[in-house]
Formats: sequence, structure tokens, C-alpha cells
Amino acid sequence: MYNKRMITVRLPQKKKELDLPGPRRVMDLLADAGVRPTTVIVTQGKKLLTKDHRVEDGATIDVISVVSGG
Amino acid sequence: MKCKRCRRAEAAVDLPSHHAAFCPDCFFVFFRRQVTEGIRKLRLLAPDDRVLVCVSGGKDSLVLWDVLIDEGYETEGLYIDLGIDGYSDRSKEKVLAYAASRGKTPIVVELAKEGIPIPEAARCVRMQECSICGTVKRYFFNRVAAEGKFTVVATGHNLDDETARLLGNLLHWQRDHLARQHPLLPGADGGLVRKVKPLWRVSEVETAAYGFLKGIDYVTEECPMSFDATSLVYKEALSRIEDRMPGTRIVFYKGFLDPSNPLRKGPEAAVADDAVPTPEDAPAADAARATEVEPEEGAGTPGACASCGAPTYAETCSFCRLKERVRKARSLRAERISR
Repeated sequence: MYNKRMITVRLPQKKKELDLPGPRRVMDLLADAGVRPTTVIVTQGKKLLTKDHRVEDGATIDVISVVSGG
Repeated sequence: MKCKRCRRAEAAVDLPSHHAAFCPDCFFVFFRRQVTEGIRKLRLLAPDDRVLVCVSGGKDSLVLWDVLIDEGYETEGLYIDLGIDGYSDRSKEKVLAYAASRGKTPIVVELAKEGIPIPEAARCVRMQECSICGTVKRYFFNRVAAEGKFTVVATGHNLDDETARLLGNLLHWQRDHLARQHPLLPGADGGLVRKVKPLWRVSEVETAAYGFLKGIDYVTEECPMSFDATSLVYKEALSRIEDRMPGTRIVFYKGFLDPSNPLRKGPEAAVADDAVPTPEDAPAADAARATEVEPEEGAGTPGACASCGAPTYAETCSFCRLKERVRKARSLRAERISR
């Protein structure tokens, strides 16, 4: 059976994980995840990704919020 | 996307507010230049300063400490354990691990041992945790700095923090707060140590990127007490504007700091920022009175708190007043239980 691979988008601070179809740019993945780009950094393993970076199917990326309060 | 500086390596950080994108090595150069320029332009630090860096375990304060060490400043870290279940332990671990990696041992103040852990104190006096936290932190920053003969206290407040505070002050026309808001709060005779915010030119995204690329392991979870902090509302509004109009935040803040801005009286007006009780320091019913009875804010030399000797423009400092309220609330509760 055909099993389409997806991009796994992890949002650790929200304890959330999304599977989104790829390949797509980081900024498009963020838009789909409802995250504003000026509030996060996006990483893939030890790499930091720019917002126009193209993420391939099967990849896992972490969206880390940078907003501190108080 | 290629790095705009070296034009060879692949970019890792894109900064629309600077019309730039950098590879890791060039970003380090850019970031450090932003911080050192911020220090130089406002004369925040001198080469012979002894700097007490207030570290929370979060990205901003650890990145600040990292840059100041790399720039050759004499620094020590101060960690205040707020006594928040779980969160404080995890934050302290990050601070200790980072400090060890740089051959340092931070000074640690435990609020539970000082008799004023934040969650319990907030419950006792029915005040917002963030407001109490501010009063307590300011007190210990100054006390530890004065006792340790540090010449300056440095905190990790960044551009996002400062513009959120500015927006809040403007929306409520807090003219006295606006006059004192500045990355440099000068010290004063009477034991008030100078306080600086060397990260005032860099955004949260930039400090997070720097921390990640440098391998600094910081606590990414938010303080559980700050989930409804008003500063988050202002930050959200500003980040929406920044999304549409990159660079607005830095223009907003630089314009505010311009010496010709009539809303500001200059850093001299900020002298007593730590010593002057704010309305939040006082009980709600006393809030108006607290601002009325204080002498000219920022003027002259502060006196000594009748209880602890800390610099203050009132008879007792805001920290001792808070501690007294917590003590009274505890004894009332104990009385009720014993009945």
C-alpha cells in the first residue's frame, strides 16, 4: 500500500506535533501550524533553518518559541 | 539563501529587520557587534567594571553572560531561586551547567531560605506573582552587587522586552515610568548600584538563534507564573506589527531613546528606579498614596531602609514592606487554623 511520507513539525512548548505534507518552505509550514515567524526559531537536528528553507518529506523539524514573559 | 556577509556559506539566520541573512560564523560577528555597539553608544560598561550578571536559566541572560565573558569583562553570575516547584530546579540546573562550562560558580540566592518564595508570598498578599518577583529580584540584585563590591548589575532584557514595556507605558501614559525607562539606570550614593541592559538592540529571535548556534543549553519552558503577564499582550501586538513591517521595533525604541525626545529626561531621571516603590509594590488600596508620598522620584541620594539598610526613598524599602505583609498574612492564617 502507498504510504505518503510527511513532514513532522514538533512544537515542544505547546506539547504538540503535526504531520504536514511536503516538500515545503519553513514559512509555509509555520503558517499552517498557526505560528508567527517573528516568535520562533526553527531547527532540524543541530541546524537552524531560515524561513525560506525547503523542508523535504520525511524530515522532522522543531519550532521553538522565543517569547519570554513576566 | 546565501549569507549576506561572506556570500559563500548557506545562511542559517534570516533577519528581515536588518535586510540580512547570516551563516553561523557571520551571525556571531553580527550579534556580538550589536551588543558591543549597544554598550558603547550608551556607555553601559567600562573595561574595568566588575559585572554581576543576573541569570535565570533562560536564553537572554545566559547569552548575555556568554557574550560578556567572550568580550573580556570580569563577570560573576547571580541566580535567584524563586521557589517555583519544578521550574526553579530545572532553571538552576541550566545555570549551573552553563557556569561550569565556563569555569564559573554562580552566586545563588534561595528565596525559600529567605522566607519569601514567590508562589506562597503571592498567595499570602494576594498580589500578582510577576509584580512580587520584580520587587524581590531588584532587591537582591542590588544587595548582592553592593555586598560583593560589583560596580554594575547586568540583566538580559532585550529589544522585545524593552519595546513591550515602552508600549505599555505609552498606552497608560505612565509619564514617570517613561522618564526612567532606559538601558542604563545610573547608580547613586547610598548603595544603589548601576544597572544596565546590554541586549537592548537585539531581538528575542536573535538571542535564541545565538544561544542555539553556540550550543548554550537554556530552559525553553516559560515561567508557569507568567502565563497571563500583560507584557505578553504587548509583545504579541508588536510582533504582529513586526511581521508586517520588519524593523519597526528597533525604530520605535531608538526613537524613544533619542535625547531630544521630550518624554524622556535622560538616564539621570532613572537613578532611583530600583529604590522608588512602584504602585505594584503597594497594596491596591495604598497604590495611589504610595506614589503621592514619595519624594521627587530620582532626585537626590536615597536614604537607608529602617529595617534592612537598603537604599530607599521611603522609610522602609519595598522589599521589607512586602516581607512584613507576608509575615502578617502568615500569622493571621496560623491564628485562624489554631482556633
